[in-house]
Amino acid sequence: MISMLGRGLVLGSLFFATTGFFGGAVAAMRKDRRAWLVTRNAAYAFSASMISANLLMIYALLVKDFSVEYVTEVGSLATPWWIAIPSLWSSLNGSILFWGGILGGYVALTVWTLGEKHKEYAPWALHVLMGISIFFALLVGGIANPFAPVAMVPPDGPGPNPLLQNHWLMIVHPPTLYLGYVGMSVPFSLVCAALLAGRLDAGWMVPVRRLMLVPWTFLTFGIMLGGWWSYEVLGWGGAWAWDPVENASFHPWLTGTAFLHSAMVLQRRGRMRDWTLVLGMTTFLLTLLGTFMTRSGVFNSVHSFTQSAIGPVFLVFIGISLVYSVVLLAMRSHLLDETARSVDGELGGRSDRTGGGLLTREFSILVQNLLFAVFTFTVLLGTLYPLITEAMQERKVSVGGPYFDKWALPLGLGIVFMMGVGPALPWGRTEPGAFSRRIAPAAVVGALFAGWSYALGFDKPYTVLTLFTIGFALWCNLYEFIEPVMQRVGARKESPVSAALKVFERSRRRIGGQVAHYGVLFAVFSLALSKGYRLERDYTLNIGQSVEDFAGFTVTYAGSELVTEPMRQSVVANFDVTKGGKAVGRFGPKMRYYPTQREPIVTPEVYSTPTYDLYFSLIEVSKEANATVVVRLIHEPYQMWLWWSAPIIALGSALALWPQRSRQKQGGAQAQVPAGVQPGGAK
Amino acid sequence: MTRRGAVNVRYLLAGLVVVLPLLYFLATGFGNDPHAVPDVRTGTPAPRFDLVDLDGKHWSMEELKGKPVVLNFWSTWCGPCKYEHPLLLQAAKAYPDVVFLGVIYSDEPEAVRRYLAQKGQAYPHLVDPTGAIAIDFGVTGVPESFFIDKQGTIVHKEAQALYPQTLQPLLARIRQ
Repeated sequence: MISMLGRGLVLGSLFFATTGFFGGAVAAMRKDRRAWLVTRNAAYAFSASMISANLLMIYALLVKDFSVEYVTEVGSLATPWWIAIPSLWSSLNGSILFWGGILGGYVALTVWTLGEKHKEYAPWALHVLMGISIFFALLVGGIANPFAPVAMVPPDGPGPNPLLQNHWLMIVHPPTLYLGYVGMSVPFSLVCAALLAGRLDAGWMVPVRRLMLVPWTFLTFGIMLGGWWSYEVLGWGGAWAWDPVENASFHPWLTGTAFLHSAMVLQRRGRMRDWTLVLGMTTFLLTLLGTFMTRSGVFNSVHSFTQSAIGPVFLVFIGISLVYSVVLLAMRSHLLDETARSVDGELGGRSDRTGGGLLTREFSILVQNLLFAVFTFTVLLGTLYPLITEAMQERKVSVGGPYFDKWALPLGLGIVFMMGVGPALPWGRTEPGAFSRRIAPAAVVGALFAGWSYALGFDKPYTVLTLFTIGFALWCNLYEFIEPVMQRVGARKESPVSAALKVFERSRRRIGGQVAHYGVLFAVFSLALSKGYRLERDYTLNIGQSVEDFAGFTVTYAGSELVTEPMRQSVVANFDVTKGGKAVGRFGPKMRYYPTQREPIVTPEVYSTPTYDLYFSLIEVSKEANATVVVRLIHEPYQMWLWWSAPIIALGSALALWPQRSRQKQGGAQAQVPAGVQPGGAK
Repeated sequence: MTRRGAVNVRYLLAGLVVVLPLLYFLATGFGNDPHAVPDVRTGTPAPRFDLVDLDGKHWSMEELKGKPVVLNFWSTWCGPCKYEHPLLLQAAKAYPDVVFLGVIYSDEPEAVRRYLAQKGQAYPHLVDPTGAIAIDFGVTGVPESFFIDKQGTIVHKEAQALYPQTLQPLLARIRQ
């Protein structure tokens, strides 16, 4: 019954997507309102049927209906409800269904956001979005059908992958990452819509920027949660290993971040138009590549699925999308020449497609964009290199962490440096002297950070340089907020608090960007210190035996116990930790045994503080009580700051997304700013 | 550089120079599954054995030639073996033309008898007291199942629990 109903819903979504695809094209070409209404309703119906199919599969997993193929793969009688629900995305076919469900959500969000305001673009955007939806509905209804009925109905199932049951982060990490991946189809559809309509103006910039910022924020959060999960679950005490599937999520993040910045140049100065369009398209295409990397079985990764029939079909779709994007750009980009000049309507016609120079914000964003592009290419090359060598020389070559670290460090530092230079420069020209006066205090703050780092013993040259760059960028971003506040206090005699609130109120989008930058600085700070000054040792301990000095701590093995739960057994080894004679606490890393798994799963225990993490991971322990253990102890400074960076970036995005009061309502605040001062305080 | 309706050849060429090699390299990845751990026994004749089942009956590879065989190494202390047991019972009943044989791996025959009395038995279980047959087949742990065709050739080794989705296609291959 569930099989039939599920298949029906998926086929229904295929029908609605096809209707929307053709309806959108007709509505756009003939300016036909009736066709537009059909398209809009078809899009909503697609969303409803795809989301319903997902809910139905969740129901099947909850009631353990083993007549449904996907439930026999990941369901189990012993699985509690809070693991049964995330099982939806724990295996290949379910994850594709989940992709479709999220796409359904984004389709509805797009229709709602575009409303009746963007008639030139909306039909084309839905046409493209429905084209993508057709592919996923075909996939879910065909070779990746999770609703297929089972001939030999088993009495029980194996349950989801034990690694996915081991930590609550696995409940939130995949959906967040999917929200990032799938959402990139919306800005892609809007980029295609501009090209198909042959029109790009200020009305296009507003939704495209917002609809890029939403999935970008989810992608940022998803990547960070994935790193946190890896840290908390896998037992090696690290968040990022440059694994192909990890890299797959990083590629679109890099290009998406570049897009968010180049879109500002397009909006303010009317420049970098084609580059911005390319970035918008590339970001989506890289999410497809990422999905392919995880699901084709072609890449060797701990996160990827084994080879299946989905891979070749997905590759055909990537091929069509790539060729479509290139041809569309080649055939239609010149049509935008006329309308692109009015993109900067938001600033009242400040378009300046000539002039500029090196000391301008737009040039700094260009440099930063180039760094992002080189970074993307470098990571992509390292990820694809094993495939390239195998195709050309028939030998297997793997590219490891050292290659990526070697490139990521200078490129990342360059980007952080430009994150400071950009806000220190105004849109348009500035004098070298004014720029020097502006960055001199930032250099002093950078030097203070570098000195602090050196004084605390974090004295490797790259660490000191990183801390300098962080201090420099931090001050530049802070000063971009402080300067207009000081100007208001000086010119209008407002109190600092009142001036700060007013600046915040009328520059929320810009401040959102600054807050996101602070989040990035948190992450860089943590990475520089936790990776560079990590202490790791393995110890074999009998009951009562101690490690006397591990990073200043005394660690005593207090014995082990066997804990039995419905879906697993766990051996918990307890360690008492003291520092300078004072008790820090008792920590119990585990070795977990799942009934369907040949090997046990390591479950570390982490003691996190703002300045350091103490990490316990069992390497060997038997089920016998109080047996000898082999434990890995890791001490990492400032690791927690990495996890804090994600909510800070998300807060910045939320501020940037929050609707701003129109300029009229603000009482012409623009006109009241002292002459010669641009928004942001840049002269 | 371009007229209305014209194609920007530079964009087209630049795009295709990136796109086409990328697609080529991704396509060549198929058929080289990096997850697949090759098993040296696959494609070779199944090692000979002569073992006794729990009821004392002799079974040898020689006598099984001409019949498709599923040889399942298992034990009562192994969790995944317990999961796949009902599925193997079902399959043995559904495919009477296939010979299903369990091989007891590092376990006591008495413990196996008790387990089978409780959970059901549909095919013989062979006693391999010294583990010699497990060594001949290259067994590294349990469960491991060998799918042997009518010519006595190992077609596939499954080094994990069997699922309905994996079992049925493998049975189809050895029944051909």
